[in-house]
Amino acid sequence: MPENPLPLKSAANDLLPPSLLAKLDRMELVSRKIFRGRMKGERRSVRKGQSVEFADFRNYVPGDDLRFVDWNLYARLDKLFLKLFLEEEDLHFYTLIDVSESMNFGTPSKLQYAKQLAAALGYIGLCRSDRIKIEPLDPVVAPSAPVLRGRGQVWQMLEYLNQLKSSANVPLADCVKNFCSRNTGKGVLVLITDLMDKSGYETALKYLVARNLDIYVIHVLSQEEIDPDIQGDLKLVDCEDSDIAEISVSQRLLDRYRRTLATYIEQARDFCSRRGIVYTMTSTERSVDRLVSRYLRQRGLVR
Amino acid sequence: MNFLDFSTIPWYQWLILAVVPPLIFLLYFLKLRRSPLQVPSTFLWTRTIEDMHVNSLWQRLRNNLLLLLQLLAVLLLLLSCLRPGCRSEELAGDRFVFVVDQSASMSAKDTPSKGSRLDEAKRLVKETIDRMSGSDAAMLISFSDRAIVQQSYTTNRSLLKRKVDQIQQTERSSDISEALTAASGLANPGRTSDRESQIDMQVAEGRDAVLQIYSDGGVKEVPRFSFGKLTAQYFPIGSFEVPPNVGITAFSLNNQLESDGQIEAFTRLQNSGMEDAEVDLSLFVDDELFDARAGVKVAGLSSTSISFDLSGFAGRVDQAIPIRVQIDSADVYAFDNVAHCVLNPPRLSNVLIVSEDQKYLELAARTDRVKKLANVQFESPDFLKNPDYEKQTTLGFFDLIVFDQCAPEKMPPCNAVFWGSLPMDERWSKTGQSSVTPIVDVNNAHPLMQAVQMTTVNVLASDMIEGPTGSVSLVDSIEGSVMTLAPRSGFLDLVIGFPLIQYDESGDASVNTDWPRKLGFPIFMQNLFVTLGGQSQFGQSFNRKPGQLMNFRSRLPYPKVSVTTPTGKTETVSARADNSFVFVDTEASGVYEIRPQGEQEIDQLVAVNLLDRRESDLAVAEKMELGYVEIEGTRARVPARREYWPWLVCLAIVVLMIEWLIYNRRVLI
Repeated sequence: MPENPLPLKSAANDLLPPSLLAKLDRMELVSRKIFRGRMKGERRSVRKGQSVEFADFRNYVPGDDLRFVDWNLYARLDKLFLKLFLEEEDLHFYTLIDVSESMNFGTPSKLQYAKQLAAALGYIGLCRSDRIKIEPLDPVVAPSAPVLRGRGQVWQMLEYLNQLKSSANVPLADCVKNFCSRNTGKGVLVLITDLMDKSGYETALKYLVARNLDIYVIHVLSQEEIDPDIQGDLKLVDCEDSDIAEISVSQRLLDRYRRTLATYIEQARDFCSRRGIVYTMTSTERSVDRLVSRYLRQRGLVR
Repeated sequence: MNFLDFSTIPWYQWLILAVVPPLIFLLYFLKLRRSPLQVPSTFLWTRTIEDMHVNSLWQRLRNNLLLLLQLLAVLLLLLSCLRPGCRSEELAGDRFVFVVDQSASMSAKDTPSKGSRLDEAKRLVKETIDRMSGSDAAMLISFSDRAIVQQSYTTNRSLLKRKVDQIQQTERSSDISEALTAASGLANPGRTSDRESQIDMQVAEGRDAVLQIYSDGGVKEVPRFSFGKLTAQYFPIGSFEVPPNVGITAFSLNNQLESDGQIEAFTRLQNSGMEDAEVDLSLFVDDELFDARAGVKVAGLSSTSISFDLSGFAGRVDQAIPIRVQIDSADVYAFDNVAHCVLNPPRLSNVLIVSEDQKYLELAARTDRVKKLANVQFESPDFLKNPDYEKQTTLGFFDLIVFDQCAPEKMPPCNAVFWGSLPMDERWSKTGQSSVTPIVDVNNAHPLMQAVQMTTVNVLASDMIEGPTGSVSLVDSIEGSVMTLAPRSGFLDLVIGFPLIQYDESGDASVNTDWPRKLGFPIFMQNLFVTLGGQSQFGQSFNRKPGQLMNFRSRLPYPKVSVTTPTGKTETVSARADNSFVFVDTEASGVYEIRPQGEQEIDQLVAVNLLDRRESDLAVAEKMELGYVEIEGTRARVPARREYWPWLVCLAIVVLMIEWLIYNRRVLI
């Protein structure tokens, strides 16, 4: 085991509490689609390969590896059949974390929540020898994101997550486009975001859909956004673009805001389900443990 | 009456008020400081607000509900400044006669507002004027012991109100009859409003009118009056409960002539309140405190008499002295708390008796009593032709001339008695003659005949006398008047039909009557000198009421005198043909000083007092009996103008409270 400095340990505890680790150990990431992995992993591939698990027979054609000829069958039927075995491959698992300024709100902040979630999912993936890549949605920082594989790189993952900070306010679509252009592999993609992009999230999701990825959108909202507790005549300042909205808070306005939020969530859910994207809305008050072990299991991301 | 009254404040203040709402509007937007709050994204908020702005104007107004409420509150306050209101009760009728009592008792300060009753009456009249519609006409009459038409029928309400304000408090007594006659003039035009006139002329069609009497009800009885087309309403002014009041209702000095140097002052105190009262009395002689009585008890609804001994002054009575008695305890009615009296030095009147045989008359004129009253000069009828007679009478030297069985060619400029003769004046005539004249009636009410017993007097021959218009018969026989008194341009002439001694054709004298032997004769002579000799005008007891004409003679004949009123005003009065003076400006009670013009020395003093028991009685009559009608007082008055501004102010306060609530809670919208 590598020696862990204390800060990192505490950071690790923040992101992945030991109690969670035990649960995550037993889980694995599921892909609804079967992708071709690059390396031999721990999951069955659509390709026939060299695992111990029998898959099928086929007629021998000249040039086949004689080691896979079923000699017992040849003895019985006097015909050459080749034994096919299932190939076991790794899974490409991408996690995209929205690191815009708006993610800094909430208790805990949405960014922190996103990091915890990414760590939990990443840990599951690493345990199953999947190929894990966690990228912030920031075109500047994203390319340096490491590719992780194997349980041994958990600390590296945690370290990387820890140093992630909210930074650029780049439109979601631009970030996703940048990601798509750099990563060509297929696999499972989890997008953790608050979807608070004035230019819209639809373009971004369409880019991802076009890559034929198995996409999960986890919509993180803080409690302040779901049920704002404000009063009086206010000048709301957008933390990203300093846009100003002047409101006089009234019950009617609050009711309307809640309806607007519900409508927004419904639209996002609708948009995602039409394109085969799994959408999950969560509040920062819901624990990551519960989210992963219950909601994401129901949605089929883990089992 | 308008719903709104812009005259509540001047126009420039309206201008200032008009600026307030726009100012609030501006301030609201200038001052509205929204506290900044950083949020993850305004994305959803913007969409929310956009949604709300879809039906924008109303939404915008809703957002500014606080502003609207503030504006509403200010507008309500502004509106209340306009004094909105309406006539609460239509005044029935289109012609009104307001009759306002201005007598002395109306000065009592027992109204709820602690003002005088007159002020209250004026306020009520003005309220009623406010309630009149534009076409209503009204007339304003004020009355005390006389009536003044302050304003004849007019529709000009501001003029009426101005005239109401001009009604002055008087110190006079109350007599409403003249006011009623004046009021009924237009309503019942068949009857003339001139009391003197006997002619009843139908001058115009009578018109209905409402007569509103504002008084405390303490008025003289009106025995005969018919309202005709007048509808009378009586508004009692003053408190329901009788206020405590002790007043002086009489103040006089005893007759010096009778009591030989003993001077006493008599005061009568009347308590018109229900409770017993205790007052302190002070007597001032020549403005110096002379005597005082502390704690004089006067039982409720009764009176008591107090006398002061002034004997110490008997020797000093060589100059006129004012005497004043006053109640030192204050009450609601001040006029009856002080009374005045004067002590003028006695003046002997000059009497000339022209008679052939002066025995009886001389006997009667030589008594001690008469000596104190007059200088009597006896002359024979030949004196009438003497130039001295002409000179003395022209100068006004004599106050009284008695012509015994003779008559001057020219009537003298003084009072005259014709005894057994007729004046050389065609207005006097004999209507008959009787040889035996039984006396059947004597007018003992007249000062001349007071205490004179005539029924036992035997008279033989007498002429029946008929005097000019206005003459009064003092003694009547069966066949006619044997003693007649008649006025003659300021003087009085007494004609007695029977001489004391009768002369027959041979010149023998015989007694015609046994009157000189009776007790009544010297009393009659004394009455003659007092009443016709001018003594009555100089007596201390001589008292005048405010507003009455002051008719007086100076001690010596002066062409002009100056009169100084209690208020300090000095007026010059010229002597009339009979050397008497008439002074009219006697509204104020107190002591009037009369001096020969240009001189400092006081000729005489005259006291003017109300001393009226009815005015001192402050009980407010609940109903008035006027003529044949009894009018119930209307106490409860509907406010003339129903005011709405208090409601508006309340509403403004409620709006402000709602505004405050919304500001604090922000949940109701």
